[in-house]
Amino acid sequence: MLSLLIYGLIQSVILVLYAYGFSLVYGISGIANFAHGGIYILGGFMTWCFMNALGLPYFLSAIFSVILMGLLGFGLYWGLLLRIRGIVLSEVVVTFVAGIAILEILAWKGLYGFYYNLPVFVKGGISLGDVAIDYQRLFALGSGIALAGLLWAFVHHTRMGLSFRGIAQDERTALSLGIESDWVGALSLAIGSSLAAVAAILVLPLGVLEANIGYDVLIYAVTVAIVGGLESGFGMIAASLIIGFGQIAVARYIGSSWMIIVPLGAIVLILAIRPSGLFGSFKELEERI
Amino acid sequence: MKKRFLLSALLLVAAGLAFSFPAQVLAGGKPIILGLPTAVNTDWGHDDINAVNLAVEEINAKGGVSVGGVKRPFKVQITDTRGMDPATPAHDALMAVEKLILQKDPHAIVVGFARSEIFMAGMDLIAKHKIPYLGSYATTHMFQKQFAKDPAKYKYLFRLSVDAIAAAKAVTDAIDTLKRQHGLQRVFFMPQDTLLSKGFNGVLKRHCENTGWQVVGWESIASDASDFSAVLTKVKESDAQMICTFWDVARGGTILLKQWSSMQVPALFVGFVVGANSPRGWEFMGEEIEYSIYTEAPIGSGIPLKKLPKTRKFVEKFIEKFGKPHGQWLTGAAYDSIYVLAQAIERAGCLDPDKVVAEVEKTDYDGVIGRIRFDDTHQVVYGTDPKESALCLAYQWQDGKQVPIYPPAVAEGKVRLPPWMKK
Repeated sequence: MLSLLIYGLIQSVILVLYAYGFSLVYGISGIANFAHGGIYILGGFMTWCFMNALGLPYFLSAIFSVILMGLLGFGLYWGLLLRIRGIVLSEVVVTFVAGIAILEILAWKGLYGFYYNLPVFVKGGISLGDVAIDYQRLFALGSGIALAGLLWAFVHHTRMGLSFRGIAQDERTALSLGIESDWVGALSLAIGSSLAAVAAILVLPLGVLEANIGYDVLIYAVTVAIVGGLESGFGMIAASLIIGFGQIAVARYIGSSWMIIVPLGAIVLILAIRPSGLFGSFKELEERI
Repeated sequence: MKKRFLLSALLLVAAGLAFSFPAQVLAGGKPIILGLPTAVNTDWGHDDINAVNLAVEEINAKGGVSVGGVKRPFKVQITDTRGMDPATPAHDALMAVEKLILQKDPHAIVVGFARSEIFMAGMDLIAKHKIPYLGSYATTHMFQKQFAKDPAKYKYLFRLSVDAIAAAKAVTDAIDTLKRQHGLQRVFFMPQDTLLSKGFNGVLKRHCENTGWQVVGWESIASDASDFSAVLTKVKESDAQMICTFWDVARGGTILLKQWSSMQVPALFVGFVVGANSPRGWEFMGEEIEYSIYTEAPIGSGIPLKKLPKTRKFVEKFIEKFGKPHGQWLTGAAYDSIYVLAQAIERAGCLDPDKVVAEVEKTDYDGVIGRIRFDDTHQVVYGTDPKESALCLAYQWQDGKQVPIYPPAVAEGKVRLPPWMKK
């Protein structure tokens, strides 16, 4: 039981890390950033490059990678999305193509197999009763919770965060108050992309750095966002907990091969019963991506 | 005068052109197209492509393959089936192969379908197009069963790679040693949810049941799994001493090994886990994989065997040209398949598929994987003596090195038990 609680919580926080950037961008600018998975992997890969090709320390490589992904997100909005702002299908297509291009180029260049790895921050772990947990997972758990708190504080208690909320609530009114929506949109994509890079740095050391992982991250991010409600931060956390604990419980009591059914089943169920998501406010299915 | 000058000039130009052309063109050397569909962005696909290109380079350097007295070079056309990506539907992989066949018109297919499920579905596709297929990737034992249902239809298909049963048998002797000499008794099976893995583990399970092991668990896991905490908790709770598995997806295999180490599960890995089951395994996994027992299937995929000079030379040449292989499965078979095909074409004297197939059936070739002969189901015969058959081996990571422990024909050490094992 203790193992279920601990690893269920860890899995949930990993899902939060995957989904945070995606949900933030959609919540503020209304853009479903399907390049999220590509940016996640690119963030991890840039960290690897800074460490191995340039010989920089891990911590510095991580910071540079987060900043670089932020700039990429900003550039993606200002360079491509600005021109098609408001045409939802085009926004989806552009971000989707960007994501596929990133992942396929990385795969073409050899980012597959077990060759590329990010090291864990600290080797070893602790035991809680009979349950052994490594420090990296604990660090990801703590960081995920801290990040959630920081982002909440950001959007509620900073000028920029309040601008973001203003645009999210009513763009026209926000414009009339002098909040520039394009600038806010670009910043939201920048922050969302940086969050993707942060997630990569925390989670990728648990496994391997491979281009295909980006597709799974995108699927999980979209699943959590849909189940929780696309523009609801609280919904995102609730969905992560449901899916994370659900997966570990299913693996424990039914069988590991059924784990993938949990997120897929959650999507089917939520779209059938409550299409706007657990804590979403949009009511029409057509308004969903 | 003018006419003579023009004629001489023309003759000179013609002679110049003739001598500047490669010999195979002068000899009518239109290339023999080898279609190579595989999962390109995987360790084995990558290694197999290198192995095929190495063999093709060697053959072409000697002028190519003699087809009815005319030397013709091999030319490789690669297509990516993405067959090893967990989410690739079989249909997409099959379409990639059919596109290769229709657009490039290959004379033969080498390496071939990756995932065994896709291979089984692809057998009919190859039979439909009647192209000699010398596969060295998918390893399900269902191939032989399907072949036997209609040998005339499936006669174009040959397989040089091992099947899962033969690969598993290379491991069973190591398992017997762990029981006999070290007193281990409890085993947990953790196959990947694929045909190959379940077949491989099925053989090991039957062997364990017949030799007095206590099977304390069997749990198959989806190949795109990214968390193994639940199943590793079960392994700990069942007090298993040995984990038998076959894991060929890089992401899952790496997470499995890392999580096994971080959760301090006191059970030895036996079988195949990508990442650890690789000449590069120690480089990337480190000391965590010490004492674990894996299989090289077939030989010639990374370990330069002291007792087999031809195999050792191939591995050394491969490493010199491409670096160590990423995977440890199939490279030698891919290399040998080109020589088998070349010799069959030369014996047939033409590229007619039926005649080439008839000659491939008669193959008796001393390859890097051992002696290559095909049985009635067009599967290379595997055994324990490289003078009689092709070979798989089991090895153990000892002091950071891959030490072959079985069969005796290639063994260079004995099984060792880790100090942290409880008996």
